[in-house]
Amino acid sequence: MWTLDGWDQFLTFLAGTEDILLLVLRILVPLLSLLVIVQCFRSVRRSRRKAAPVVMLQDITTDKKIPVLYWENSIGRSKSCDITVPDGTMSRDHAVLMRREAGWEVIDTGSKSGTRVNGVKIKGSHMVLPGDRLTFGSTTLMLIRAEGADSRTSTDPFRRIPSPAGLLALVVLIHLFLAVEACCGTDPWRPEAFLLFGLLALVDIFFYLFCTHVFGHISFEVETVGLLLSGIGLFLQTSMSFDVVITQLVALVGGICLFTLMIWFMGNLDRVNRWRKYIAAAGVLLLCATLVLGTSINGAKNWIYIGKFSIQPGEFVKIAFIFGGAATLDRLQTRRNLTEFIIFGIACGACFVLMHDMGSAAIFFITFLLIAFMRSGSLRTVFLATALVALGLFMFLQLKPYAADRFSIWGHVWDDVNGLGYQQSRTLTYIASGGLFGVGLGRGYLVNMPEGNSDLVFGMLCEEQGLLLSFIVLLAIVLFIFYARSDVTRSRSTFYSITACAAAGLLLFQTALNVLGPTDILPLTGVTLPWISAGGSSMMAVWGLLAFIKASDERTYAARRKSA
Amino acid sequence: MRTQGWRSLTLYILTGLFILGMGVFAFRLGTQGASWAMQPYNRHLKTEGGTTQGGGEAVWAGTIVDRDGTVLVESDDGERHYNEDSSVREATVHTVGDLNGSISTGIQLQYRAQLLGYNALTGVSGVTNNTEGSTIALTIDSDLCETALQGLGSYKGAVMLMNYKTGEILCKVSTPTFDPENIPSDIETNDAYKGAYYDRTLSVTYAPGSTFKIFTSASAIEHLTDWGTRTYSCMGKEIINGNTITCMSQHGELDIREGLAVSCNIYFADLAIDLGAGNMTETCNEMGFNRSWDLDGIPVQASHLDLNGATDDQIGWAGIGQYTTEVTPYHMMLTMNAIANGSSAVTPHIIQSITDANGSVSQPDESRITLLTSDTAAQLNDLLRNDVVSDYGDGNFPSGMQVCGKTGTAEVGGGKEDTAWFVGYCQNPDTPYAFVAVVEEGGFGRSVAMPIIVSLLQQLA
Repeated sequence: MWTLDGWDQFLTFLAGTEDILLLVLRILVPLLSLLVIVQCFRSVRRSRRKAAPVVMLQDITTDKKIPVLYWENSIGRSKSCDITVPDGTMSRDHAVLMRREAGWEVIDTGSKSGTRVNGVKIKGSHMVLPGDRLTFGSTTLMLIRAEGADSRTSTDPFRRIPSPAGLLALVVLIHLFLAVEACCGTDPWRPEAFLLFGLLALVDIFFYLFCTHVFGHISFEVETVGLLLSGIGLFLQTSMSFDVVITQLVALVGGICLFTLMIWFMGNLDRVNRWRKYIAAAGVLLLCATLVLGTSINGAKNWIYIGKFSIQPGEFVKIAFIFGGAATLDRLQTRRNLTEFIIFGIACGACFVLMHDMGSAAIFFITFLLIAFMRSGSLRTVFLATALVALGLFMFLQLKPYAADRFSIWGHVWDDVNGLGYQQSRTLTYIASGGLFGVGLGRGYLVNMPEGNSDLVFGMLCEEQGLLLSFIVLLAIVLFIFYARSDVTRSRSTFYSITACAAAGLLLFQTALNVLGPTDILPLTGVTLPWISAGGSSMMAVWGLLAFIKASDERTYAARRKSA
Repeated sequence: MRTQGWRSLTLYILTGLFILGMGVFAFRLGTQGASWAMQPYNRHLKTEGGTTQGGGEAVWAGTIVDRDGTVLVESDDGERHYNEDSSVREATVHTVGDLNGSISTGIQLQYRAQLLGYNALTGVSGVTNNTEGSTIALTIDSDLCETALQGLGSYKGAVMLMNYKTGEILCKVSTPTFDPENIPSDIETNDAYKGAYYDRTLSVTYAPGSTFKIFTSASAIEHLTDWGTRTYSCMGKEIINGNTITCMSQHGELDIREGLAVSCNIYFADLAIDLGAGNMTETCNEMGFNRSWDLDGIPVQASHLDLNGATDDQIGWAGIGQYTTEVTPYHMMLTMNAIANGSSAVTPHIIQSITDANGSVSQPDESRITLLTSDTAAQLNDLLRNDVVSDYGDGNFPSGMQVCGKTGTAEVGGGKEDTAWFVGYCQNPDTPYAFVAVVEEGGFGRSVAMPIIVSLLQQLA
């Protein structure tokens, strides 16, 4: 008899310690996640090229040497040029000297006096080799190699870069912990969580091996953070149902494919320049198609049903929008006006307003401002656009008073907890209920709310996984801004710089709307939290946006250049 | 590309705004988290009766009991219930607090997080996910509170009594009061309920009248070497700077001992003028004026004394507890506590213990607040004991308690009756009680405020 008693006691003991064990996991997961995120960021910072010139330009009359610091350099007498030559016969923005795969090229950007290479006037872009003489106006510069070129390969033994495989292993471990949480948090247990872990681990490892061995990439930081966040999102969705999780997992694989495809596509800037217009046009067409064929869910007509599958085309148009807006430096210098981009922006914005998708409209507007300013530096454009949109919003609210409701309840959600403030008050209550470490996966109640696992998912993340992990997820998204910013002048083209900044800004703004809307700091708009919210289209699009950030890292295309 | 580098700094504006927004969110969560969590629809808060989570519409929180375990408020069947006796409810509502949080110093509001089992770190889930609120035991005795409420009758006022050896507040009542189970519909409009949401023991200041002569005496003991022999002569009234200070009768020549016993206004007005604004302010600030307190974390209004630029007549008025002098009943009791303890007051407590769901009990820390020197305390003790022996009469109090005290009758102006005070303590260490009673528009302290304290002491005898 006592053996049975002993067994019972053992089971009781296990049941007693189970909650403690799960709490320990809920503390470990955020700490390990923070480690991964910080190490990935340090890895990016440490492997950055030092700001040393690869080539120089030497004035043949004065012998003065001018360092060439960037992959694309504007040359002219304007102070804003990367290479400023005080020569009255030069145009303000005379030409662009840029590094492409085949070597250095120079292109005249509509100068008055033209550009000559070795005395011959050029049309379009022209290859330049060391020793070639470039004539702008009355100034002649010779391209020469910098002494001690390629100094960037010299590695400082004290600046050790964390092992990408090690960081990925840590991510897989975090996913395992999340699987234990998802399995044991509920009664009865859900062993399916371990199946999910198995599949996710396969995705993690295959993606890594593919990038390093097939693509020959030497860096994996951005992808590691993406996989970490995707895993946190996937396991959070187990609280909803495993059907949702399967959709998310498929979308994750799709997103990774899109990421890989975009990295390949953006490897050739000529190809990008050729296709840019078509991608932009396809984006607008897709939005128009949504307007015509779309289905309305929760008041926003932004879904297209194809058989059993539903997609939100608006998510993919974000990628097209960024493609359409960015350009290489030579194009920025020759086509200065933003008219085409403004028309493109208005077309997209109008479509979203007609769909009643105000969240997406706001995201496109902020992205538009970011790109427009990166391209033109014109504050006037920014102010004008903001004023126009404010006017438009005002008129919209006059015409559609129901849309004003979400503005009227803003800041007063506790006055109407069962009416207009329903979603916000529940979100706040369940965030506060979760505390620092959450109540545990599968033990939350916000998931039962409409849109609880998408628009209100920040609340759900806080409730079940705790404030600590939620803030670390946000930190990861904020750090993408710093990734993008640190690569702006080091990337291989302004195209990459602009797309990366636009993508990072878009992700952050979308995050801000998702987090600050339901918590009543901003008016509530229904947008998803990148990587975390349920939604296949969103998951795929987010990985597509991540590709922009990845592409602006000059190491992304480094290995291929070496082998070529 | 350099220009793009500069322009990309705009991203930091976006980032900064986001971080600012998150800061606002974190601040609100820290300050309002408990009220966010304590919503009736929160399914993490289970009902008392139910064993499973998902209480639905339950208003759930822990129980509050008095020192004898009498339930003052508890949750049952998803509803919050107060004690079944309406006079207990009315006598304790200011301490316990109402359900709407209108009484800002109530335990239910101030200790909401503990009652809920909420804290910012673990939310509503404890380490092992059981969402049980704590039971709070108060130091008050609900029977004693009922007696004090009866004593106050239809007057507005405050009564508080504590054990000065242990720091426990045994009785704490504020009127006008109301029944939290049946809140009067005219509570906002009816003058009889004016200020019903204020706990007058903690949140309201009164002109101290003659009870302030204790502080004037303390200042004399500390600053005048001849304080024990110094005499003034009382002619019933005295004109200072053209301003007349009146006395109840013509006391003639008297010293401080006689002056305090008969509560001679002229004596203490002249004494205050001789002490001067500097000495008066110094002593009063040492004894806790112009300083806010907290009672187990519940904020207490500061007593007020400001003699900056006061003329002689104003200092004279201040010396007898008029002018702009204002005192909280809590502060007055704290002073009695300090004198009874011979310089340091034992910090008063209203919380006896908080027992959380896991059975772990927390109690307030014992500490002391020094308000005056032991010599001053001993001399004041002697003076206050003399008041009762020579004037109020030991026979009016339960025998053997050796009560020390001072009455007060403060003018409030505006055609209103005077505010009646009685403050003091029992010298006998077997009945270590310090007390205060204030009755608005009550008239004489001796005839209105003192009997309330007597009835409490009789019950404690």
